[in-house]
Amino acid sequence: MEETPPNYDPQVLARISSLKITAMNLVDGLLTGQHRSRHKGSSVEFAEYKDYSPGDEIRHIDWKVAGKTDKYHVKQFEQSTNLKCTILLDASGSMAYQSPFDNGGSKIDYARNLVAGLTYLFLKQFDAIGLTLFNDQIIEHIPPRSKASHLQHILHGLSTISAEGVTRIDDVLAGLAERLQGRSMLILVSDFLTRDQDIHKSLKLLRSRGLEVILFHILHPDEINLPFEGDTVFESLEDDPMVGLDPIDIREEYQKAIQEQIDHLKNVSNGLGIDYVLLNTSTSLQQALSYYLLKRKSFIKS
Amino acid sequence: MSLNFSSPLFLFGLLGISIPILIHLLTRRQQKHVLFSAVYLLFQSQKRSVKKSNPNRLLLLFLRCLSIALFSLALANPFFSMGNSEAFRSSSPGSYVFIVDDSFSMRTEVKEKNLFELATQFLSKLLDQIPEGSEFSLVLASSPAQVSQGWMAQKDGFFKLVQNQKPSFQTTDIGNALDSAVGLLKTSNNKEKEIILLTDLDNNGWDKEVISEIETLTNTPLKIYNFSSLTTSGNKIAVENVQSHQEFLSRSRILKIKAQIKNYSNENQRVPISLILDKKSVKEHLVNIQAGQTFTQEFSLPIRKGDPIKGEIRAGKDTLPTDSKRYFSHHPNQNIKVLVVDGDPGTISHQSESFYLERALNPFSVSLSHIDPTVTTLAELPLRKLSDFAVVILANVRELPVNFELELESFVLNGGSLIFGMGDQINARYYNQRLGNLLPVTLETVQNQETTHLLFKNNKHPVMEAFSPKAIDEMKEIPFRSIYTIQARDEKNFKVANWFSNQNPAVLETDFGKGKIILFLSSLDREWNDFPIQPTFLPWIQRWTQYAARGLKNVSHQNLLVGEIFNQRMEKGLWAIQAPGGIFHLVKSNEGQIRFNKNDIPGVYTVFELPENYTKENISRLPLGSEPVGTYTINVDTKESSSQKISEETIKSYLPNLKVSIKKPELDGTKSPTSEGVLLATPLFLLVAGILLLEGWMVRRE
Repeated sequence: MEETPPNYDPQVLARISSLKITAMNLVDGLLTGQHRSRHKGSSVEFAEYKDYSPGDEIRHIDWKVAGKTDKYHVKQFEQSTNLKCTILLDASGSMAYQSPFDNGGSKIDYARNLVAGLTYLFLKQFDAIGLTLFNDQIIEHIPPRSKASHLQHILHGLSTISAEGVTRIDDVLAGLAERLQGRSMLILVSDFLTRDQDIHKSLKLLRSRGLEVILFHILHPDEINLPFEGDTVFESLEDDPMVGLDPIDIREEYQKAIQEQIDHLKNVSNGLGIDYVLLNTSTSLQQALSYYLLKRKSFIKS
Repeated sequence: MSLNFSSPLFLFGLLGISIPILIHLLTRRQQKHVLFSAVYLLFQSQKRSVKKSNPNRLLLLFLRCLSIALFSLALANPFFSMGNSEAFRSSSPGSYVFIVDDSFSMRTEVKEKNLFELATQFLSKLLDQIPEGSEFSLVLASSPAQVSQGWMAQKDGFFKLVQNQKPSFQTTDIGNALDSAVGLLKTSNNKEKEIILLTDLDNNGWDKEVISEIETLTNTPLKIYNFSSLTTSGNKIAVENVQSHQEFLSRSRILKIKAQIKNYSNENQRVPISLILDKKSVKEHLVNIQAGQTFTQEFSLPIRKGDPIKGEIRAGKDTLPTDSKRYFSHHPNQNIKVLVVDGDPGTISHQSESFYLERALNPFSVSLSHIDPTVTTLAELPLRKLSDFAVVILANVRELPVNFELELESFVLNGGSLIFGMGDQINARYYNQRLGNLLPVTLETVQNQETTHLLFKNNKHPVMEAFSPKAIDEMKEIPFRSIYTIQARDEKNFKVANWFSNQNPAVLETDFGKGKIILFLSSLDREWNDFPIQPTFLPWIQRWTQYAARGLKNVSHQNLLVGEIFNQRMEKGLWAIQAPGGIFHLVKSNEGQIRFNKNDIPGVYTVFELPENYTKENISRLPLGSEPVGTYTINVDTKESSSQKISEETIKSYLPNLKVSIKKPELDGTKSPTSEGVLLATPLFLLVAGILLLEGWMVRRE
């Protein structure tokens, strides 16, 4: 019997529809947010007046106001453009972590839903959105499109992910920085569990290119609390050697270490004007997204 | 240097280490395998944990095992010995002579044991260390030193032999013991030879003269274990001598007991001195005795009529009680009742035949001579009851009353004694005809032509033993003007105790029935000689009277030391001697003497005369008809009492050929950490406590 091509894998198709439903549920319930362009200029929607200064286009002078006040004001309009957003999703082995304590999904499932939701949200606002999957290198890249049908592509891309390999965010970001257009948005979804923690430089590079960066830091509660007990052999989902120990002995130290990592990321993000969102897989995605959108909105207003 | 354990059984406690290991293994949770994302963070955390010395289960397990191991070791009482335990360094078989000092000074008490028991215990311990295949022998060093066991190779048998040994009451004789040991070693073929001496090093046992004559084996090791090092104090008090005597020249019946007590310590001692009779303290005095001085304590005791007195003097209490008591016995002298028949009484007292005799027999009082003479005339003689008297002296009696000779025969047959004295009144015909049963000789004539003298051929006669040569010389000078000559009767036995210088017998003696008949062939007054006015007459006639009455040598006058031989002139028959433990020994008279040499225990020994019909070869209890004859005492020789020790240098100078070393015996509970080794129990206990504290702290931190 001939093997079913991956694109038509019933499981993949089922996952796609499931993702779509999840994404629609997620987004439709939220406020229909718009991405306002931060680039002001000649656009459809009036933004504000500005005193005329030499060099400004004369055609933008509001003559009515000039007639009334005898002063020249130039009309400024908010540019309402389609946002180009690339979602960078970590598909390394560590994202496949699934807790032995519950039957919940893995982190990659959680991330998948998140990305699907975001994609739907973006496309609904007619923004272009693309998806890049990576581990130690870019596995798959779907360029940003704003067509509604693009959702299918992205969902398909999400459905076919198998989390494996080692995480090398640094290398991937460095490679991407050149390829991504300026003034676009980059959403990085990862657990950031990688030994080379120096993503500071890469993020800085992205920011310098005018990219809006949002970090979604996805962690399972087990990875934060280390709730294991008894002599345990921990086998790495990536390439670390296995280690046998009693987690009780090191729990305190571990919790401290993971917290340090979170704090570090948070600090780096704050320093670079990057949105940092820590997502615990135990919190619902809707809550996480709404929290993010609110935060985003308040950020734009300010 | 070696590590030893006083209680090695506790080393089994080391098995207890398995308990924490088992608990660890049983409680160890099964390892789970978990696929995890942040393993590198676990690594980092683990590294940090180690840096912070977080409690480690394996470390805790190790500490627990260590504490149990150290606790077991501490209970086993380990100590580092600096070579003393290397008693038998060689592993090849050898020949070992053990000399054990079993003198009574080894009875010195240390806690609940005495030194001898400690010595045998220590010997058994040494025995364990002797390489297999060795041979060993045992020499006992109390006087006389003797080989108790020749070479043997069975440790078990030797062990039992040693355990069964008891200390004696003798003095020490190291010299002869060493001689015996060297003799034993000469017969051995092993290369390894060693003499091991277990003693208290009392100086008196080391007789230089004896030791200097020992042909020692060159370079043979002589290991001396000094048990006096285990004692806390030396011997303090010893009763050196006890003498009992009746008051002289008085009629009072008071017994005086004089005890000499010596203080052997270097300090003045306040000592209670007790007179003990029949195990009851009768009198007690508390006296102060200066250091090194001898004190004489006298006790007075009323004598009950005729009862023998057995008792002991006890002085104080010290670590060696053996010499703090001394036994004595006393037989109040029985007065010998003598009937003097005066055959020629005079109107003037000093002319009477009995004048000198009566005064010689009883010069002042009965208590002096214990002879109670009664003078009678021939006319009064039939009125006298002969059985009231022990001895009848017929002095110059012409003829006896009618048929009185039969009464005399009966008297002598039943144990009475007769002494005949000659004189001018003697009717020889009557004597020869009527007294033929009593007299073994016939009287011939009075010889008075020339003066003769006494001749002493045999001074060993019991009567003459007491006389000094000077006294005998004096007696030889006495002129005898007249004497009776005699002729021996057929089939009659008699002995001539004294001769005259003219070859005529002077004193004859013969046994008749149970009694004795003595014939003096000159007068007992001054009629025929001047003997009665000589100073020697008094003891001479008294001793003949006592001899005749068999009271000459009282047994109870003998005060012997342990191991000495009891010698007693006993004419005939069987005798039994009861030792202090109550055991009877049968003794036969041999050549007129009995000898008894089993005087090993101090105490009062009682001598019994057994009835003639006793024919058994041994004796377990006294047969009917046995009569006590007397007692004698056996006491320890107090030269052993001195706790003066001989030095190592002196011993080495005495025995230059031997490799002499003196050590303190290592016994359980008597080890000194400084000289014998370093005790490790206390440090180990402290270490255990420290480990447990650390473990508790770590667990608490966890």
